[in-house]
Amino acid sequence: MAAASLRRFRPSAADPWDRVKAAHLLNRAGFGGAPEEIARLASLPVEAAVEELLNFEGVPESFPAIDFSALHEMYEELLRARRDRADEAALRRVVQQINRANIVKFQELRAAWMRRMIETRRPLQEKMTLFWHGHLVSGLPETRVAEHMAIQLELFRRLAAGNFKELILAISRDPAMLSYLDNNSNRKGKPNENYARELLELFTMGIGNYTEQDVKEAARAFTGWTFFANTFVFRRDQHDDGTKTFLGRTGNWDGTDIIDIIFEQPATARFLPRKLWEFFAYQSPEESLVQDLAEVFRRSRWEIKPLLRTILLSEGFFSQQAIRSKIKSPVELVVGAVRQTGAQIPDEVLVRATDLMGQRLLYPPNVGGWPQGRGWVNTATVLLRYNFSGLLLNGTMPGALRRRTVPAGVDHLIDAARVRTTGDVIDQLVDRFIQGRLDGRRRWGLLRAFGTNREDAPWRLDGARSQEQLRSAVHLIMSMPEYQLN
Amino acid sequence: MTQGMTRREFVKKGMTMVAVGWTAPSFITRTALAMSNPWDVAQVTSRPGIPEDRILVVVQMGGGNDGLNTVVPFTNDAYYRARPTLAVPQKDVLRITDDLAFHPGLAPLKELYDKGAMAVVQGVGYPNPSRSHFKSMEIWHTADPEGRIVRYGWIGRYFDSKCPVCEQPTVGVNVGPAMPLAMQAESGMGVSLENPEAFQWIAGLDGIGAQEEQELFRLLNAPAPNEPGTIDFLRHTAMNAYVSSEQVRGAVRAYKGGIEYPNTQFAASLRLIAQMIAGRLTTKVYYAHMTGFDTHAAQRGVHENLLGQLAGGVAAFYRDLEAQGNAERVLVLAFSEFGRRVAENGSGGTDHGTAAPMFVFGKGLRGGLYGQQPSLTDLADGDLKHGIDFRSVYATVLDRWLGADPQKILGSGFERVGFI
Repeated sequence: MAAASLRRFRPSAADPWDRVKAAHLLNRAGFGGAPEEIARLASLPVEAAVEELLNFEGVPESFPAIDFSALHEMYEELLRARRDRADEAALRRVVQQINRANIVKFQELRAAWMRRMIETRRPLQEKMTLFWHGHLVSGLPETRVAEHMAIQLELFRRLAAGNFKELILAISRDPAMLSYLDNNSNRKGKPNENYARELLELFTMGIGNYTEQDVKEAARAFTGWTFFANTFVFRRDQHDDGTKTFLGRTGNWDGTDIIDIIFEQPATARFLPRKLWEFFAYQSPEESLVQDLAEVFRRSRWEIKPLLRTILLSEGFFSQQAIRSKIKSPVELVVGAVRQTGAQIPDEVLVRATDLMGQRLLYPPNVGGWPQGRGWVNTATVLLRYNFSGLLLNGTMPGALRRRTVPAGVDHLIDAARVRTTGDVIDQLVDRFIQGRLDGRRRWGLLRAFGTNREDAPWRLDGARSQEQLRSAVHLIMSMPEYQLN
Repeated sequence: MTQGMTRREFVKKGMTMVAVGWTAPSFITRTALAMSNPWDVAQVTSRPGIPEDRILVVVQMGGGNDGLNTVVPFTNDAYYRARPTLAVPQKDVLRITDDLAFHPGLAPLKELYDKGAMAVVQGVGYPNPSRSHFKSMEIWHTADPEGRIVRYGWIGRYFDSKCPVCEQPTVGVNVGPAMPLAMQAESGMGVSLENPEAFQWIAGLDGIGAQEEQELFRLLNAPAPNEPGTIDFLRHTAMNAYVSSEQVRGAVRAYKGGIEYPNTQFAASLRLIAQMIAGRLTTKVYYAHMTGFDTHAAQRGVHENLLGQLAGGVAAFYRDLEAQGNAERVLVLAFSEFGRRVAENGSGGTDHGTAAPMFVFGKGLRGGLYGQQPSLTDLADGDLKHGIDFRSVYATVLDRWLGADPQKILGSGFERVGFI
């Protein structure tokens, strides 16, 4: 018997599939959108809307790949210089050149990802890619090769809603991960426990489901798993092929066996579903719900897509506990705002804005990824999040961009033909930015931005004064707690 | 809704309603008081013999600092056997006793130690140590190794214990990207910032004008009763930021400078803290962060660099405080979530371990060595056994430095350590 909140959501007159729920779906399974996009989704049956997001493989999409050929030449030059026994100074010059080029490429990759999240026609694929980046964490400064991160992001896109076990095996052989958690120097005799520990604690099972001895034994099994250039390499001479006892099973295990044993554990069936539920729906789900999700996950042999379908079509996902209950991550805030408004802001500036708010793409704070929920907000970041509206309105944001770029027009944010009163214009702004109800006091505050305290005061978009009022209203809406929620 | 009010009447009346009817946070009015005479509020409660204006600065060395290569047992063969490539050679160490020495990267701290302005508490840890970064860090932040459900941090619980100035958001200031759990308080006090210039809400973006927007900002962000927890949390955080913004930026502007700091992010954090102290911000606890101590591979250069950053930053901070005449007021407490394994691994690094030394700096302490260096041969699972519980160090600081009752905050049974 499924818990109430995992039951299939059935729209009814009392609990309809409407624009609020369509906006919720697009916010969580993607990065939100403009009112027209939400209206289109709301016009489909809820199952069709969810299937459209889930079955992204069929949607054509092409973004240019980043060109690493110049770096390839530099690496070859370094190999040549080493082979020819070049002097220290010459070697150092090449290495410095490589480091500088990598930094440039990292910036390029970050900016390209930001653009892709804004423009993608496969929002759920990019949302899952972001999820995996925060779950199977790698990045600067430990991973110094920009191309390795590009390869890892492509892995996350390819298996975005694919098979979790396959993804765990792939990430265990991924050059960015191998260098981030030092498995590239995990050798027979003196193992390095870094990858083995986080594989168990953070990636698959969670703390409390294994012993310190299991960590040590798993580390032995992953000895010799390393890479050359961009490719996984198994070095037999560095692999410990002695007997290991891991989670009660004894044998001559290697990394693949360890992963097999991990996926036999009940804890593994619960760990990822819980995290996905928290990412998409709400914090601290009921244990019975996690158990039911685990059952779906186990039955599908670790396929992600059926799990996502169950979550996104559930009563719990569309419940009041979920809707507008989550604090947007900085990337959700920034990408969402650009999608809501169509603002033209350089990608590097948007990346800088999320950096300041505490989410530096490809530069996670540690192997645990970013804190979620309230962890995003403190006195510094709340002001940065509020001030971000400056980028949209006049092209400035303290700390990110001083020089004005393109002062954005705001006319396009409302449908002037449908506005007769101040109440109408506020309705349209709230519909675009918040997609929920504002309480009377806050609505009253917004009325004051239009110089009135009456909903029915006539208002028209003409002249400088009405423009100023509109800009202030947008600025204030984006400086409200309500705007911080998805 | 009343019609026909003028804009100014509305705003005035609106704000009065905010202050009275809409649960205006009491700290707003208190903060206004405190701003004119910073230590007035502090007069309310105090303990005889402990000055009111004392400050604690917590330094977090994130990732697990290798204690054995920080305070080196340079006459111990077991140390050199366990670390054939990583041990600090005897000829390089900075001796503090006949068998213990600082890593050479700590030279600036050796000077503080020799002056009696630094205490080393050896072998600090807790029972059944966790080797998970996240679990162990949480334990140090909550001071709750037994895992009773403690929602707030040990410093946050101090804020909640009604210390002087504890009802102002700026009672705790974190310099860093995320508010540490240690500072989270039921009262919601404490602010976080990195860049004072960005620590303000920018009003008047070519709209209706800055002053009107400021007034509406307060109306839109003022807490109200019976709102969902997340919205309430956002409003309180926004109002804390709003009321502290001018205080913090004002304090920072008053700083004269003149002391040179190393060019590192950690030193910049300490410099910002020194600026706020110089500006007489009414803060009891500051928090600064270092990261990168998780040296599983190629540890030698990385660790040396980190210790250099720690030492250079703390030494400059101390010089600054002396120049300001504030050195007696400030105690610096440096910790890491665990030490590292005694034996090195095959990557030229060390894996997660257990007990490690803590460091305390300040003009007002009794410098020297406290506790015992853990045995390198009597190990638990390849790891050092702790001698002093970290909560004893916290209890000492709460009791003898801040004048708070540690029993209420940490529970009972933690002996004091003699550095204060």
